[in-house]
Amino acid sequence: MTRLLGGTALGLLSAAGFALVAGTTATPAQAQEYTIPTVVKIDGIQWFNRMREGVDRYAEDTGNNSYQVGPAQADAQLQVQIIEDLIAQNVDAITVVPFSPEALEPVLARARENGIVVVAHEASNIENADWDIEAFQNVDYGAHIMDQLAACMGEEGEYAVFVGGLTSRTHNEWIDGAIARQEEAYPNMTLVGDRNETYDDQQRAYARAQELLRTYPNLRGFQGSASTDVAGIGLALEERGMEDDTCVMGTSLPSISGQYLETGAVDGIFFWDPADAGYVMQELATMVLDGEEIAEGMDLGVPGYNSVTIDGHVIYGQAWVDVTAENMDDYPF
Amino acid sequence: MPSWATRNEVIVALVIVALCVVTALINPSFLSLATLFDMLRNGILIGLLAIGVMLVLISGGIDVSFTAIAAFSMYAATMLLVDLGIGDSLLLAFLISAGIGLSLGMINALFIAGFGLPTLIVTLGTLSAFRGFLLAFVGSDLISNVPPAMRDFSRSMLVRGTDAAGYFYSLPTAVLFLIAAVVITWFILYRTMLGRSIFAVGGSREAAARIGFNVRATQVFVYGYVGVLAGTAGLIHASLARVANPSDIVGLELEVIAAVVLGGARLTGGYGTITGTLLGVTLIVLVNNTLVTLGIPTTWQKVMIGFLILLGTGLPAFQARLRANRMG
Repeated sequence: MTRLLGGTALGLLSAAGFALVAGTTATPAQAQEYTIPTVVKIDGIQWFNRMREGVDRYAEDTGNNSYQVGPAQADAQLQVQIIEDLIAQNVDAITVVPFSPEALEPVLARARENGIVVVAHEASNIENADWDIEAFQNVDYGAHIMDQLAACMGEEGEYAVFVGGLTSRTHNEWIDGAIARQEEAYPNMTLVGDRNETYDDQQRAYARAQELLRTYPNLRGFQGSASTDVAGIGLALEERGMEDDTCVMGTSLPSISGQYLETGAVDGIFFWDPADAGYVMQELATMVLDGEEIAEGMDLGVPGYNSVTIDGHVIYGQAWVDVTAENMDDYPF
Repeated sequence: MPSWATRNEVIVALVIVALCVVTALINPSFLSLATLFDMLRNGILIGLLAIGVMLVLISGGIDVSFTAIAAFSMYAATMLLVDLGIGDSLLLAFLISAGIGLSLGMINALFIAGFGLPTLIVTLGTLSAFRGFLLAFVGSDLISNVPPAMRDFSRSMLVRGTDAAGYFYSLPTAVLFLIAAVVITWFILYRTMLGRSIFAVGGSREAAARIGFNVRATQVFVYGYVGVLAGTAGLIHASLARVANPSDIVGLELEVIAAVVLGGARLTGGYGTITGTLLGVTLIVLVNNTLVTLGIPTTWQKVMIGFLILLGTGLPAFQARLRANRMG
């Protein structure tokens, strides 16, 4: 799994202040109260503001000293520095969303040598972590979106698929899963055209959708992958006045596609909730500190993580969130 | 071969016609008003930017920072309009965006005309400086609640038709900006002394200075004009897309420069035509919007675009060499 925002997030250099959370509250306290920071890629953007809510909720629920820190700029080196500071403070565990897993390996190795538990998220290839938790398996997620698309299209008709980049492993795994599900379960649906590449650019998704509609007049379904894909497709459909006759489903966020969900040009968007991911990382770290076994099928107590699958030291949930015009206001990011 | 037949304009026009014929043979529905309108709509941004780049090339420079200027102006203007609650006036929106573009163009002009630095170096620098400043200090989140004036503008259509299935196709009013930019630029280039000075400076800076053209003033005008065009193009882009995304537009620079060079403007300066530039833009937009119809696999689409650019730019260069050899 990778960044939902693709190229967009890469360039994010937030000016939001470097919130230096007072991590060293002078409470050695009882043994079961742990100090567990969550280190995110970048501080101050909506995605990680949402994750902070989950971390804070965990602190409230458990009495742990759980808090979130992150660099003011998306920079692997700044993340390394933050983790070095945390090692020096001798925290109990570190939960981290690495900007670049490779860049963090040495410092995380050092954290573990110092007896600090490490839990990662969005880094299934990371080596120096006790566990990595992923919201879902990419193929399952893609198949889930296809199920929704098929339901919307009445399980018949032509559909097209979009990816941010042909080189984006995540996007292509989502689409692999979607096409496999269609071929196995929805024989009356037909894929038209190749995988359309949009470079995470809404204008390209828009122009591609226009061209597809001109070339395949019976095209009725679209599945997007980059967060801007469905917005571009939705705009093209709205300009054509086709929003009621077509189905558009794909990965996106309400802040990007909300206006098209409202008009019905986009029918459903999908993502995973960073608040839940933050909460579950904390929970996992606490369980490891308490010496609990993590096993296949276990319930981590967070919706979507009720029956996890384990592959090596990577834990997968089924924690996708389906958002439509009705519940989009619950996810203000 | 008569000399007109080897001009870039003619070659590019022939390639355009050939591409249209092939596409129409494969998919007859290509020949529709909807296709034409879609192409025009998708050519507005590249067209406006290309006109600016053409002017820079004629003046003997090169500018790669115009996409960053467009993105900066678009985002900063939208943000101002939203934050100050003055999003009801489209005129004001364009004035702010073009004004920001002009200011950024003046920064280029300061280094190029003021300090006499090479244009490529300066604009490569300002490309990342403008973009970095935008993301670090102005903002990096999408603004999807664009001001009402911009939203209305995106829904404003010159022509709207209905196809057989009852769906709309339409030509946005924004295309008027491209037409206006073409007319104004044509007037400046061919009907004013300023236009002559742009050609003269590009042809030979030294000679232009000696016969009394003000080289620096000319350069200041050119980079300011590019800034205004970029600012305008940026605001149109955000309006039509109904979102101001700070990571949009940047990355188009090679496509735009390719369009201008395809149209015959010389990288060495002193030569370029509006007709050629528009043909170059047409070809690029056409290629970008017919590859699915032609059934070319996504992996091959970039190869196709690269090949066309090589063909379009390489052929005239090759012919020039042949001519030189024959004479020599």
